[in-house]
Amino acid sequence: MSALEFVNVSKSFRDVNALSNFTIALEQGELVSLLGPSGCGKTTALRIAAGFETADTGAILLGSTNIISLPAHQRRMGMVFQSYSLFPHLNIRDNVAFGLKVRGVPGDARKKRAEEMLDLVRLSDLGHRMPHQISGGQQQRVALARALATEPHVLLLDEPLSALDAKIRVEVRDEIRRLNRDLGVTTMFVTHDQDEAMSISDRICVMNNGVIEQTGSPRDVYNNPATSFVAHFVGSINSLPRGNTRVLIRPENLVLATHDESAHWRGTITDTTFVGAFTKISLVLDNDNSSVSVLAISTQIDNNIAIGKSIGINEATR
Amino acid sequence: MKFLGKIWSRLYIAIAIVFFVAPLLSMARFAFQRIPMISLGKDNLFKRWTIDGLLTTLRDPEFLHSLSVSLKVAFFTVLVILFLMVPTTLWVHLSAPRWRGVVETVTILPYVVPPIALVVGVSGTYRSIAPWFLASNYSLVPFYAILAMPFTFRSLDVGIKALDLRTLVDAAKSLGASSGRVMWNILLPNLRTSLINAAFLTFTVVLGEFTIASLLLKRTLPMYMAQAQGSEPQGALGLGLLILVLTTILFTLVSIIRKKDSTSINVKNINVGMVP
Repeated sequence: MSALEFVNVSKSFRDVNALSNFTIALEQGELVSLLGPSGCGKTTALRIAAGFETADTGAILLGSTNIISLPAHQRRMGMVFQSYSLFPHLNIRDNVAFGLKVRGVPGDARKKRAEEMLDLVRLSDLGHRMPHQISGGQQQRVALARALATEPHVLLLDEPLSALDAKIRVEVRDEIRRLNRDLGVTTMFVTHDQDEAMSISDRICVMNNGVIEQTGSPRDVYNNPATSFVAHFVGSINSLPRGNTRVLIRPENLVLATHDESAHWRGTITDTTFVGAFTKISLVLDNDNSSVSVLAISTQIDNNIAIGKSIGINEATR
Repeated sequence: MKFLGKIWSRLYIAIAIVFFVAPLLSMARFAFQRIPMISLGKDNLFKRWTIDGLLTTLRDPEFLHSLSVSLKVAFFTVLVILFLMVPTTLWVHLSAPRWRGVVETVTILPYVVPPIALVVGVSGTYRSIAPWFLASNYSLVPFYAILAMPFTFRSLDVGIKALDLRTLVDAAKSLGASSGRVMWNILLPNLRTSLINAAFLTFTVVLGEFTIASLLLKRTLPMYMAQAQGSEPQGALGLGLLILVLTTILFTLVSIIRKKDSTSINVKNINVGMVP
């Protein structure tokens, strides 16, 4: 039995289909990302699970119970938002304890539990501070502690890292993964950032225009994309001519040709970007006009690699 | 240039001070100096000051009655206006943003409809269907609630805009709070400053309103003061000054509370960005 299951959930706003026959099952303790561009329906799916939006059709199963008509405050879903959403008038400890207070947990037990949760996100010394007195990353960790304090059935995360700086983002991301593993809490993570989804998820559900394009492990989604959309959205990819068709090849699977005559494709370099471990070379194919990116390891780079020069590329043998 | 600028700014301040303080000083001399008005001059600036006139007025049972009428009406007006406007403004922000323009337009009606038209229209209607309504002092409450709508709506509107309302409500609900609980434990505490502002502005509007009270023949404080200017002019002006001082003190207190609140709720830190 799954921890959380969407069965044929559909939702439209006016004429726009935000979600069509959305079906997915989350196993107990699993972390599943909903990944897709803006307007793909991922946030709608999450908000339907939380009870903030009503689905037009379909069922949401929590264990074996259909909760689709249960109001949000009776669902016991822990939710974390992009915009921190700590209550500005309560200090950090009272924020974490809010859900317990609402559920009628007595004062002492509530305080103890709040301290435990703050300890869990390593912020136990900030309990007396007000939300505006701590940083964005800390606020988001408090929001996690608050959502987890009531032992929710499922943790729902709506772009929780999007408002954070790059470095803090990685810290909070790792924190989310650690909490998910340590507490075994089933987690649904909404993001438009493929790197985030790849690094945190057990499974990724790639969405576009309200439908699921592919669900699978990060490795699966990256290496065996089910549709052209998935191939293009997750990682970068080149579309190269081969005979009468086109093949999709990731930049890291292309190599520079050592001998001119053996090159499968030839093109003119339009740009090179040095990234440290590798250099990204952009070129336009001679006969095709399509632009292609190649990732070349620095040992491969010689004086012939410069803007305007002609080079040959091949598919790497795996 | 800088020196000249400094002189100009000082001059402006001096002019402003004369503009505001001179009438107040004249009022104070008239109200509190027992010297015939015609002989008030700079020689007798410090002579024969007394608050007898004010004390006479303060002891007047008519004054106490009108004060109590005004305070009661103000209190109920504040209750009515908050009861009407808080849910309306929240509703507009949470569920019906498209209606915000309509609501805003409705709230500025008192600027468009002059009080005389309002009173004539309403009293004409009620005299025939419910004459008892206009007989009570509390019949002023609905009129004053209408007058206070613009201030109340704007004050609440600004307070709500500073909050990420939607997310706060969602967060509280996901933590198990019912709608009533969200209102009491999350929304009202965060709107405290707006509520105080709205209540205070409503209060001052009611305490100063003359036209409607006079048209409906109610014995409110402004009505009493207008009448007392004929019978006990020194006392009436003294009372005017006293009210001015008291409201200034109240305003200062409110702005202190406001300052304290705005440092504890830092709007800058509330991110309202959302990627759907």
